[in-house]
Amino acid sequence: MMWRKHKTWMVPLGILSLLFLYGMMGEMAWGDNSKCLSCHRDEKLAKKDARGNKVSLFVSEGEFKKAVHGKISCTDCHARILDDTHASKGVKEADRKVDCGTCHEESEKIFKTCVHRLKAEITCQACHGHHYVTLLTDPKSATYPTNLVQTCGKCHSEESKQFAESVHGVGLSRGRPNHPTCTSCHGTHSIKPSSDPESAVHVRKIAMTTCTQCHASEQITREYRFTTKPVKSYYDSFHGLSYRGGDTLSANCASCHGVHDIRSSSDPKSMIHKDNLQKTCGVCHPKASINFSKGKMHTLADIRGVNFGEKMVGWVRIVYILLIVAVIGGLSFFNFMDWLRKTIDRRPKE
Amino acid sequence: MAKKYLRMTSNERIQHINLAINFTILVITGFALKFPEAFWASPITDVPLGMTFRGFLHRLSGVATITLGGYHLLYLAFTERGRRIVIDMIPMWKDAKDLWETLKNNLFINRPAKVIKMGRFNFKEKLEYLGLIWGTIVMTVTGFILWFKEEWLLFFPMWTFEVSRAIHFYEAILATLTIIVWHFYSVVWDPDVYPMNWAWINGHLTEHEMELEHGSELERIKAEEKGRPAHFNEGSGPGPGGGRAYPIRKEGREKITIKGLYGVIQHLNESIKNWKGM
Repeated sequence: MMWRKHKTWMVPLGILSLLFLYGMMGEMAWGDNSKCLSCHRDEKLAKKDARGNKVSLFVSEGEFKKAVHGKISCTDCHARILDDTHASKGVKEADRKVDCGTCHEESEKIFKTCVHRLKAEITCQACHGHHYVTLLTDPKSATYPTNLVQTCGKCHSEESKQFAESVHGVGLSRGRPNHPTCTSCHGTHSIKPSSDPESAVHVRKIAMTTCTQCHASEQITREYRFTTKPVKSYYDSFHGLSYRGGDTLSANCASCHGVHDIRSSSDPKSMIHKDNLQKTCGVCHPKASINFSKGKMHTLADIRGVNFGEKMVGWVRIVYILLIVAVIGGLSFFNFMDWLRKTIDRRPKE
Repeated sequence: MAKKYLRMTSNERIQHINLAINFTILVITGFALKFPEAFWASPITDVPLGMTFRGFLHRLSGVATITLGGYHLLYLAFTERGRRIVIDMIPMWKDAKDLWETLKNNLFINRPAKVIKMGRFNFKEKLEYLGLIWGTIVMTVTGFILWFKEEWLLFFPMWTFEVSRAIHFYEAILATLTIIVWHFYSVVWDPDVYPMNWAWINGHLTEHEMELEHGSELERIKAEEKGRPAHFNEGSGPGPGGGRAYPIRKEGREKITIKGLYGVIQHLNESIKNWKGM
């Protein structure tokens, strides 16, 4: 048969079907919002809410088209607005329940366990914005790292203020995006109260994962020219050892350095400034004297250390290790020889 | 199977058991702090407030050990037997020679092996006892610095505290390893005493054990029994031996009783020990 041998007839068919698909895609993804915007582009368009406050219903077409959702249809989110009866009588029950979870399933699943959803009924829009949601990487986005202090500060004003003045907040305001921001410690969609063992800022996690994600990271410590020594020495100090064993009463990073208002030790307002150390230690050690708080913390045993205590502990370690090797080695040798001789003597006689 | 020689009085045995229990508690609760992720530390670290209880128990056992040490000092000072222990425990030049000769015996340098007759406390026991005293002093001092840090740091700089912490840790390793390597060898794994030297439970040594470990002491006791003190002057004291080890049973085979849990095992132990090969 000819039509089986010569397949040129398939070319226009393929082009036609591709055109059809393309048309369908246009119909679905690039929805025509002109109908909605014909009213909502009016800057004066407003309604009154239950309390009588004026709520603007204006949507800027230009802004919306630049936003990350600019190419989808209004009714993709406002799914309940179906027909022309919308606003026909002037007032209609607004379609406020925009369900982001229909597309963002993963985020929705995680956010269901978040304290914001469970305790405060905060919606996605509270942080991400409404019509002009932009990408996380866009410096204008409400969820861009340097903007998060303002975004979270809308509700958590006290914490944001403390954070903005802290060493982390000051660094962040200089625009380094890998500086810690609210979500670096608290998480994003999975924020939980600090009393929850699964919370990123639970007492058991602070010194294990929260602070150490940066302060034990080779990359970040090199970039910002600080060391991982505080983490290492903390893990080997009494506080750290007891903490590693599950002791929640033992001091962790935040016990001495603070939470949102972590400052450099040279800052007179810092908890670890030399004038405030006695008070800071005194929280757990009420008998702490001025001399008590004078010692150098975060030292690592090293004979070439900068600190006298480090050198001394380094030497003690060397002397003791030599002593242990010599004594235990000598005793083991002596006993092994004794055992060998006695075993040889006990050989069955021929 | 004949004679038994008193090695430890019941008072001394209770002291020893007391020390053994407290030492074990100190070792476990102490190293559980240094190695909190170790599998054997999980009974402490997995329990709520486990680490707090661990610290409390460590201090409690430390105080108990120090109290025991104080009692032991009083025992040494104010009992006849205690004062003899002090005198017999003094390290002599002979102890160094005994050690050297034992080593030469074991390395087949002495051919045939010399018979070494040692006193009431041989060089192994003296070494261990003096080591124990040293360790207890070091651990007590550094332990109290760590415990009463607020008071200590009123007068001393922070580095002294850090040094105490290091010493407390390394001395603990040294002490624990010494007990395992030295003490456990001489009372358990030594082929002469295996499976165990039972003196810490029943207080006795057999004549065979006395011969091996305390030859000159055995000779001294035997000479004393015959009523002719040899080259030594015993001094005052109740009964023969002047408070030293003395024979408590003259004749006859020990009856196996169910009174003591260790009666049967002890008999087995001696059978093993007196086994002369095929």
